[in-house]
Amino acid sequence: MTLSHFQALLIFALLVSVVFALVTKNEPREQLRYGIFVFFSFLAVALAVGWIMYPLPL
Amino acid sequence: MEQTNQGLEATPQAETVPLRPMNMAATLAICSGGWLVPGLSHILIGRWIRGVIFAACVLAMFVLGLGMHGKLYDPSSGLQEPLHIFAFIANAGAGLPYLIAERLDMGVGVMTAPSYDYGTTYLWVCGLLNYLIVLDAFDIAQARKP
Repeated sequence: MTLSHFQALLIFALLVSVVFALVTKNEPREQLRYGIFVFFSFLAVALAVGWIMYPLPL
Repeated sequence: MEQTNQGLEATPQAETVPLRPMNMAATLAICSGGWLVPGLSHILIGRWIRGVIFAACVLAMFVLGLGMHGKLYDPSSGLQEPLHIFAFIANAGAGLPYLIAERLDMGVGVMTAPSYDYGTTYLWVCGLLNYLIVLDAFDIAQARKP
C-alpha cells in the first residue's frame, strides 16, 4: 500500500478525531464540532511542526 | 460526586432514564469482550451505532497499519529491548486482530518501506484507542457518564 505522508496524516487525523469526538462528547452536535476541531488541529499542528523542522539538517 | 448526581437529576433525560450501574462482573465481562473485539462493548451496552463506528475506526487503522508495512511487537521483543514492552502493550490493545495477525506472522515490519513509521504508529494508536474505547464503555456501564 502506497500512501503519501499527507494522505496517511489525513486518514490518521480523521479516524482518531472520530473516536475522540464520540468518547468525549455526548450530544451529536457537540461531537461533530469537537471532531472537526480535533481533525483540523491535527492537520494544523502537523503542518506547523513540519515547517518548523524544514530548515533543520536531517 | 454529589454535585454531579444533582446535576443529572436536574436534566429531563435523567428524570426519564435514571442511570443505574451494572454489576461489576458484567461490566468486566463486557470490557473484556470490547478489548478482544473492538466496539463490541458498546454494542453489548446498547450503544450499537457508537460500537460500529468504533469498530470501523480501530479495524481500519489496524488494516492500514499492516498494509503500510508497520511492525507488531510481541512480548519477547521486550526482553531484547526493554522499552519495546510499551510498544507491545500498545499493540495488544487491538485485541483479537492483534492475536490473529501475530499468529499469521503478519506485522513483521519492513523498515525499508517509506510508510513503515506511519504503519507502526497506526498499529500502536489503534490499540491505544481501543483501550480508550473500553474505558468509555466501563464508564457508561458504571453509570458514570450518560
